[in-house]
This record gives sequence, structure tokens and C-alpha cells, in this order.
Amino acid sequence: MRAALIALALTLLASPARAQQPGDVANDLPAAVAEEQISVSSDYRGSYITVFGLNPDRRGRGDIVVVLRGPNEAATVMRKRRVFGLWINGDPVRFSQAPEFFAVLSNRPLRQIANADSIWRYQLDPAASAQLASAVPAGGDPSAYRAALVRLRREQGLYQWYSGRARENERGGLTLYQGGLFRAVVRLPANAPIAQYHADTYLFRDGRLISSQRIPVTVSRVGFERTIHDLATNVSWFYGIVTVLLALLAGWGASVLFRRS
Amino acid sequence: MIYLPIAEMPVNVLLVLLVSGCVGFVSGLVGVGGGFIMTPALIFLGVPAPVAVATGASQIAATSFSGIMTQTRRKSVDWRMGLLLSIGGVIGSVGGVALFERLLRIGQLDLIISLLYLVLLAGVGVLMLRESYHVWRGRTAKSVSILRRPLRTVAHSLPFRLRFPRSGLYVSVVPPLALGFGIGALAAIMGVGGGFILVPAMIYLLRMPTNVVIGTSLFQVLIVTSLIVILQSAATQTVDLVLAALLMLGGVVGAQIGARLGAGMKSEHIRGMLGALLVGAAAKFLFDLVITPAETYVLGGGLG
Repeated sequence: MRAALIALALTLLASPARAQQPGDVANDLPAAVAEEQISVSSDYRGSYITVFGLNPDRRGRGDIVVVLRGPNEAATVMRKRRVFGLWINGDPVRFSQAPEFFAVLSNRPLRQIANADSIWRYQLDPAASAQLASAVPAGGDPSAYRAALVRLRREQGLYQWYSGRARENERGGLTLYQGGLFRAVVRLPANAPIAQYHADTYLFRDGRLISSQRIPVTVSRVGFERTIHDLATNVSWFYGIVTVLLALLAGWGASVLFRRS
Repeated sequence: MIYLPIAEMPVNVLLVLLVSGCVGFVSGLVGVGGGFIMTPALIFLGVPAPVAVATGASQIAATSFSGIMTQTRRKSVDWRMGLLLSIGGVIGSVGGVALFERLLRIGQLDLIISLLYLVLLAGVGVLMLRESYHVWRGRTAKSVSILRRPLRTVAHSLPFRLRFPRSGLYVSVVPPLALGFGIGALAAIMGVGGGFILVPAMIYLLRMPTNVVIGTSLFQVLIVTSLIVILQSAATQTVDLVLAALLMLGGVVGAQIGARLGAGMKSEHIRGMLGALLVGAAAKFLFDLVITPAETYVLGGGLG
């Protein structure tokens, strides 16, 4: 029995994640993002994303889950091996896609709102979106690699879990107000990728998904940061030459100053 | 705080200026390029190793150019030798950047950088400590051995010999090319200028007169690091212009203060302190590689 359960869990872990948006559920949950456009300028130190919404149920029955998803990109997880007394990176495992940012907010612990199957199906957990793309090396455990990916990104602040309202001296959290209004605040750290995000809101009742909504959130460079980055990616040769010229100018300036004094 | 567009992280402007100023100060004090202190310092600050290496090269280019301006006025650059070393260096750095990109892709770049720095910092640090210890004990320093350098080396017996009027040499072109190649490859992977290897090699292997050694090595370092900045920009896009500007500013100012203060201090003390610092940094690199890590998994492959 236990073996069968473990086998089932492993199949679930290995099976490709299903469609992000449930087709059989209405996409009519009233919700909005306070700032749909986040600008990264030279004083950028991360930001907060606020999602507002309304539970259509007059009596406020049901549970709210808000997920902020970053782009899905390929990722590699390696395990350190000891070679001649030194720890080196080895045994790489590739994920064809894994969310680069993932924050889940719920008004109470997620496991009380939805069962494991629903969490997996609607990808309410970052591990559900991570797809293995290469064979795990001999002696390796695929779920250990997946868990390591989640753990490492969590330590970097890229994967976040919030349950209930914000704690003291913290702004992130999900708060329910009277009349069915809810507000979710996510801390977007400075190391989060600069890309297109999606804020997804879900209404669950008795463990079943009632309705959901998806809102795009764009994080993009502006002004000077944008100019530099565009130069570096689009005209990289020119960018390199400009950097060298700047270096020569700095060196020349230093030499002139040095001679005068 | 300022957000670095390529490193994609905010850094404290004052901290970066302070660190680059300190490195510039030390390099002005001791007379070394400082690349081999700057790059590890940036890595310790949290700058990704690829960005630290590629951006550090631009700061070395700035420092070496200001050095060349001074050396040219003293007519102490052997252009012909410098050109040969640079040709080797250009080939070496092209190979080095390609290797850098390859290592970055397979996720082993950090390890190779750590290992190379471990060997390099420990080696240079121990040499400096030993030298300052000998001076402290009252013995005559290694400067004697420069006068006693061998009259003929392998450079004088190999084919393809060429005359170098400014250095007063008639040596094979093979050793300078090979030397330039090695330094170029090292510079591309580690973000160092390589002057601290180039200078002794030019004195002992090529038998160049000491008065043209510094200027000529600076010329090679300038050519190679400039090329590396351009190649890294094109190949890996890891050159951060904002960080580079901060490093140049801090490094240049620090070097001037260092050079002025250095005149009034005992050099064996300075070298002894720097040697201890380098050995300490090497020990940190070794420690990180040897101790059993708390987290055995790592996210790898910056470029996927």
C-alpha cells in the first residue's frame, strides 16, 4: 500500500504539468493589480506588487489563493561531488522549464484549501511547473533535485509562501476584508528577473476551484538601465569598444592629473 | 545604492568605490596591477564571477593605459617586443574567452576561477612574505639575483631570432609569443592583467633590461585586456558598464593616493602585509572548496 502511494507520488512528480489555466472554470473573478508596470531604474531595489480582488460570494464563503508567476526558463541543478578532497559541481540535471519567480498567497494554509491533486493540477506549487528535461544520473533521486531547485530558489527569495495576513514588520501577505474584498501583497526582490509576470487569483470553495483570473504584470528596465542593457545585447561589439574607450579616457585622465600634482 | 544593469543587482556605490579605492591604493603602494585582488573582492561582494572577471578587465585597461602614458614619456617601452607579446596575447585571450564561455555553459566556471585564484594568491602571497622576511632579517633582497640573471636562456637558442634594439636583445620570437599566449588566456579566465607573471618572466627568461620591462608589460596588458573587454561583451555579455565606471574611478583615485603614500613607507612592510592578506584570501578559497558544504546542490549554468 505504502509502496503504491510512493509510486503514485513519483508518477505525479514526473508527469508533465498540465495547462496553467483551468478550462472548465470561469475566468471571472474580479481582480486587479495596483501597478501593472514596474520600472527598473538605477535606484531599483526591488518592489511590492499588490493584487486586489473581490469574492463574488456575498457572505464571503470560500478561500482565496493568489499566485504571482515569473517567466518559465530552463534551469540546471548540480550536485556537489568530492574529487581529490575538493568539492566540485557534478551530476547536472536539466529542467526544460522552471518558474524563475513564484509566490503563493492564501488566506489560510494551502493544504487546507485544496488537496494535493488540485495544488498539482493548477500549479499552485513551483515544483509542479518544473519539468525535468534530462535523465537523473545513476544513484540520483529526481524528487531530490526538484526539492533542491525549490529550496535554493526559496533561499534567494525567488520562491515565496504566505499564509494569511502580513505579519508585523512585513508587508507581504493576503488580507481578507469585509464584503469579500481581498488584498495580496508580494515582495518582489531586486534579484527577481526582469520579465513578464502574471498574477493569478483563484477562488476555492470546499476544495473545488470556482473561478479564477489572470492579470499580466510587466517588470521592465527604463531610462539609463534600459539604454545600457539594450546596447550590451543588441550592439555588443560597439558596447565593448565604448567600455574600452571609457577605460582609456579614465587612464588618460589619471595620468594627466598625476603629472600636474 | 545603484542597480547594475548587467549584473542585475543593486550595489552600494560607496562600498564599491571604497573597495576599488583600496585595491587601487594597494596597487599604487606596491606597484602591482591589482586585478588579482579586485576580481576576488568583487566576488566576495556578491557580484557574479563571470561579471566580476569580465568587468575587472576594463579597470585593468584603464590603470595600464595611465601607466603607459608615464612610461612612454620615459621612453621605456620596447614596442617591437610589446607587439610580439601582444600577438601571443591576442591569440591566448581569444582562446581564453572561448574557454570561459564553455566553462560558463557547463557550470564549472566558478570552480576553475576558485582553483586558479587559490594557486595564484597563495603563490604570490608566499613569495611576498618570504621576500619581506628576508629583508626584515637584514639579508640582501632578491635584487642581487637580477644582476646575476643567466647570460643565455632557452630564448637565445631557439630558431626565428629577431633583433630588439631598445632592449639590446637578439632572441627567438617563440618564447615571447608563447608567454603572451599564456598570459592572455589567464587574463581572459581570471580577470587579471598578468603583469606579476609577465615581469619576472621577461627578466629571467628573455633577459630584458629592467628599465623597459614595466612599460613593455603594461603595453601587452593594455592590448590584451582591451581585447578581452570587447570579446567578453560580444560573447558572454558580462561586462557591466556601470560597475566598470565605478571601479575605474575608485581604482584611479586609490592608485594615486597609494603611490604618494608609498614613497614614505618601508616597502618590505607593505609587501609583508599584502603577502599575509593574499595568503589569507587563498586560505578562504581553499576552505570553501574543502569543507563539506551544508547544501550539496547548486543552481548551475548561468547561461542555461
